[in-house]
Amino acid sequence: MAAGARPARAGADGRRVRTRRRRPWRPWRVESAEDGAARTLPSLGRLSRGLPFGRAYGRLGNSPSGRLILPAPLSQESGDPQRTALLLRKAWTLYSVTPLYRFCRGRLRDYARLLGAFIAAERQKGLAVEVGVELDIKVALSSLPELQGSEQDQPAVLVQLSSRSRASPKNSEDKILWSGCFCCVYGDDLSENMPEDFTCLPLFLANGAESYMSVVGNWFQKTFDCIFRRLAISPFSLTWMVAMWTGCKVDKATSAVELVFSVPRLPQPLDISYAIHPEDAKALWDTIQKTPGEITQEEVDVFMDCLYSHFHRHFKIHLSATKLVKVSTAIASAHCDGIVKMLHSQYLSGVLMLLTELAISQIQ
Amino acid sequence: MDETVAEYIRRTVLKIPRDEIKMMLQKWDFLSEAQLQTVNFHQIKDNISQEVVQLCEENSADIKQAAVLDIIYNHIYQNKRMWSVYQMKKTGEELEYFDLTDFKKKFKRRLRSALKNVTITFREYEDNAIWIRVAWGTPYRQPNQYKPSYVVYHSQTPYVFISASVLKSNLPLLCQALIVASNYHEIREMELRSHSLNSLKDIVFKRYSQNFPTYCPKPLQGKTVEPESVDLRIIHENKSEKERIQRVNQEVFGNGPQPILQFAQYKLETMFKSSPEMDVLDKKEPFRCLVKFSSPHLLESLKSLAPAGMADAPLSPLLTCITQKARNYFRIREKKGLFPDSFVSP
Repeated sequence: MAAGARPARAGADGRRVRTRRRRPWRPWRVESAEDGAARTLPSLGRLSRGLPFGRAYGRLGNSPSGRLILPAPLSQESGDPQRTALLLRKAWTLYSVTPLYRFCRGRLRDYARLLGAFIAAERQKGLAVEVGVELDIKVALSSLPELQGSEQDQPAVLVQLSSRSRASPKNSEDKILWSGCFCCVYGDDLSENMPEDFTCLPLFLANGAESYMSVVGNWFQKTFDCIFRRLAISPFSLTWMVAMWTGCKVDKATSAVELVFSVPRLPQPLDISYAIHPEDAKALWDTIQKTPGEITQEEVDVFMDCLYSHFHRHFKIHLSATKLVKVSTAIASAHCDGIVKMLHSQYLSGVLMLLTELAISQIQ
Repeated sequence: MDETVAEYIRRTVLKIPRDEIKMMLQKWDFLSEAQLQTVNFHQIKDNISQEVVQLCEENSADIKQAAVLDIIYNHIYQNKRMWSVYQMKKTGEELEYFDLTDFKKKFKRRLRSALKNVTITFREYEDNAIWIRVAWGTPYRQPNQYKPSYVVYHSQTPYVFISASVLKSNLPLLCQALIVASNYHEIREMELRSHSLNSLKDIVFKRYSQNFPTYCPKPLQGKTVEPESVDLRIIHENKSEKERIQRVNQEVFGNGPQPILQFAQYKLETMFKSSPEMDVLDKKEPFRCLVKFSSPHLLESLKSLAPAGMADAPLSPLLTCITQKARNYFRIREKKGLFPDSFVSP
C-alpha cells in the first residue's frame, strides 16, 4: 500500500475503492455543541479585517437601493418558491459538515434507497426511533437549486423522512417525520481549492427527532467520509446577526427585536428578555450605520453599547456581563445552541449565507 | 351518584401524589375512617381512585362534596396556580363586623342572580383565610368543574387573591360579587402576580422583613477567625467595595427572606439618551422597550447581581421597589415616575 493511502474500502456504490485521505482519520460520531463552540469564533484572519461576515459583502459591494440588503441568490427567478418555503418558520438545528467524498448528484435515488435500507436495519437492531410505532419510513433526497448563492456553490440537497402508518388508508398523505438540508450559500472560501472528488455543502439544517438525525448523520458519515458537528453560535456572532437583521427593511414590522440574556451562575438563575419596538430599533441602527452595504465591527459595538447603556440607565445592571443566548427579529431568530428559525422569505438566502460562513469557520 | 361526579372525583384523586391521598381524604372527612381502612393505598393510583369512587358511591357523593375535595387539593398545592392580587376600597371608615354567613349568602345570591349554573364552595382556614371555589356554566350548560376559579379572602384586609380560570369573561362578575358580599365599593387589580400565594400575602400584608435604616457607622469589631495558613501577601482587592455592596444590599433588600416572585415586567416608554460623543439617535419620541426578568426566585436573584459584579449597588429603584409598591408589572415613562394604576369600579 502506498504511504499515506488507506486500506481499500467500499464506496457508496459498493465497489471497492482505494481512497487517499485528505486529512487524518477521525472517529465517526456526531459531536456535541460544546466541542463546536470553541471553533465558531471567526478566525483571527477575519477579525483583523474587521468584518467577520464581511467577505461576501466586500465582494458584492453596494446594492442599488443604497441600503444593506442581504443579497438575493443568483438563481432566484428559477425554481419554485414553495420549495424554499419549507425552510421558513421551522426551528432548525445547525451542523457543520466537512466536504462529502464522491457524492454524485445523479445518484440521489440510489442514495435514498440505501439510506432507507440502513434506517430499516437500525430499527431492527433496536436502535433509533420510537418504540412501538408501526411505521414504514420512506426516504427522499432531492436537489434544491433555489438555495445557492454564487455559481460555484453546490445546489442544496434536501433529505426527508416521511412515514405512512400501516393502519392508515393508502391514499392518505405521508407525514414528514424529519427533514434535513445540506446547503452552501456563498461558500466560495471552502470550495475554491477543493479537489474534484469533493462536494462542498458545509451547512446542515435538521428538523425533527434527534434519533433520526443520529441515524441519518451516521449513514452520511460512513458513506461519504464526512463529519457532522453541532454548530453553536457565539454571543459575538449573535450581536452581528441582530445588528444586521435589525437594519433590514421589512414591510410590516410586526415582531420586536428581542435579545435574551441569561445569568446562570447566580444562586437563583435569572433570564432577561429585552425587546425593542422594531421601528425604534431600526431607527437607532440607521443612525449608526455609515455606509450602506457595509457593516463594521465598530458599528455593531456602538449599537450594542447603546442598547446596554439604555438598559443600564434604567436598571443599573450591566448586560454586557451577562450571556447573550438568543436574538430574534422579524427576519430570523437564532439561539446560541445553534438553533435558528428563518421567518422572511426575502432574506432567506442572506441568513443562509451567514450560517454558511459560520459553518465554514468551524470546519477550517 | 352522577357519572360526571364520579369521573370528577376519580380525576381529582389521580392528581394527588400517592403518598398523600390518605391524608387528603381524611381532611375531606367525607368517607369514614372505617371506609378508608378498606382501601389499599399501596396499589397503583388508578386502582386507588377506583376504590375511592366506589366508596363515594356508597355515600352518595354529590358535586358539592367533590368540590370540597378539590379545594383541599388546591389549598395544599396552591403554588401550582398563578395568583393575581386585587384590592378593594370602601368610602368612609366604617369598621364593620365581618359576618361570615352574611358574606356567603350575599356572594351566592349575587352570582346566582346573574348566572344560574354555578357551583360555589366555601372553606375556611385557621389563618382567617376564606377559600372560595367557583365553577362556571352558562344558561344552557352545566358548570365546567375542570376550570374553576379560586378566590382567597382574608376578611380583616381589603385584599383578595384570585386564580382565575381560563374563562376570563367571568372575572367582572366575580369581582362584583366580592364587593357586594364584603360591603366594599370598588375593586381593582393590582399589577402583582406570582405562583407563590404566601409571598403575595407577605408583600401586601407587609410581612416581609422591612429595611429599617439603622445608624451603624462602623462595622462591629469582632474577633476575626484566622484561617490555617495566612499568607500576608494575599489581599482582597476591592475589599472595601465588596463590603459596601453588601451593606447597601442589606439596606435595600432587608435581612430576611425575600417574597417569592417569578417575574417582573417593565414597559419602557422613555427617551433614548446617549453620550454626546456617540453620534446616534436623538429622536423626540420614546424608545419603546419591553423588559422581562424571570427567575424561580426573582428577588433573591436580583439581590445577588451586585455582589456578583453584574450590577451597580444600589440596584435601580425600579427593581427594589417591587415589594414596597406591591407590583411586578410596570409602565415607565420619562421623568413622570410610575404610571398610576387603573381602577375598576362596578
